[in-house]
Amino acid sequence: MSNYDNAELLALWLEDKLTPKQRDEFEQRCIKDSQFAEQVDTAAMVKVGADVYSSSEVPQWNKAATFEPQQARNSWSWLSGVSFVTSALAIVLVLTGTQVTTSEGELRIRFGSGQSEQALVKLVDSKLDAFKQNQQDAFTLYAQTLQQQQLESASQLTNYLLSSSRKERREDFAELIKFVNQQRSDDQLFYARQLNQLQQDVYHDATGVALESIQQ
Amino acid sequence: MFEKSDEQLIEKALKGHKKAWFSLLKRYEKPVYHYGLRMTGNNADALDLLQDVFISVFRNLSNYRGDGSFKGWLFRIAHYRCIEFYRRKRPMQGLDDAPEIPCDTAPADQRIESTQRNAQLVSAMQQLPLAQKSVIELKFFGHFTFEEIAEQTGMSVNTAKSRLYSALSRMKILMEVDYVEL
Repeated sequence: MSNYDNAELLALWLEDKLTPKQRDEFEQRCIKDSQFAEQVDTAAMVKVGADVYSSSEVPQWNKAATFEPQQARNSWSWLSGVSFVTSALAIVLVLTGTQVTTSEGELRIRFGSGQSEQALVKLVDSKLDAFKQNQQDAFTLYAQTLQQQQLESASQLTNYLLSSSRKERREDFAELIKFVNQQRSDDQLFYARQLNQLQQDVYHDATGVALESIQQ
Repeated sequence: MFEKSDEQLIEKALKGHKKAWFSLLKRYEKPVYHYGLRMTGNNADALDLLQDVFISVFRNLSNYRGDGSFKGWLFRIAHYRCIEFYRRKRPMQGLDDAPEIPCDTAPADQRIESTQRNAQLVSAMQQLPLAQKSVIELKFFGHFTFEEIAEQTGMSVNTAKSRLYSALSRMKILMEVDYVEL
């Protein structure tokens, strides 16, 4: 059974791509199928007709017209680039909300969404109020902390002074007692010496009296 | 002997060398003109189509990548310009419809009737629908393969083959009629 339809087989024949097997099939079909054979004849006839087709010369025609439009296009081709850049710029300006204003010979370009002057002042005021409140709170906290710190410092100083004065007094008393004790010790020594002296004097006196009495 | 290649001429034409463009034009004007002559059936339309095709080719010259042959690319443009031409001229007629009027100016044109066989062949072609006529034209006169025809006309290879087969069936009848008339 054939694997190729008539159109496929004819196409292969026209392009001279028939394999030996396909060629056999082609020839068999030409013999058996008269309609196919007629198609092949017509194809061959058209092919021959096309091959011997006598091409007359081309009449005069406006060749320059095919070149000039391109030249004209070249001279204006920069327009497409410019229009693209302009469009892109316009999109950027719209997206960024750019505003251009002139006043008193001064040109101002503002980016961002345009706000009214009053809204701007209100916004600034509210920001300033918030800032002021923050500062106030911070200052109050700072003062409280400082006060607390001062109280603690004063208390510590008082305690220190009290404890240090007690110690000094104790030391002073100790010194005084030591001094008194030393004085007493000196006095005792002095009195001892005095008594001793007196004893010696008494002894001498007694001895003299005795001798005198003896001598007498 | 030292003829420049199509690609060299295209490169120069793109740089604005008019002479290179005209050399390219001279190389292909005859096949395109006769393509137009067989597709439209008369000289005036063939010349209009010729100009139309080359204007389109020049405008799209920078898009030619050199992937396939320049001739194939040129005839692809010619095919689409031809379809456009038919749409302008016969807006109600489909690509697969047989022409209502077999031929606008019966191939009485002197240029077509240079031989009796030319006249018979072209006359028969004029009575084919555009889709079939294109395949006959590209296959027998343009000597393109079915793959190239499919690429140029935007149809599948199998469609191209079956269209050629159908066209030949019709051509057979038409040429027999023409032969009897002659």
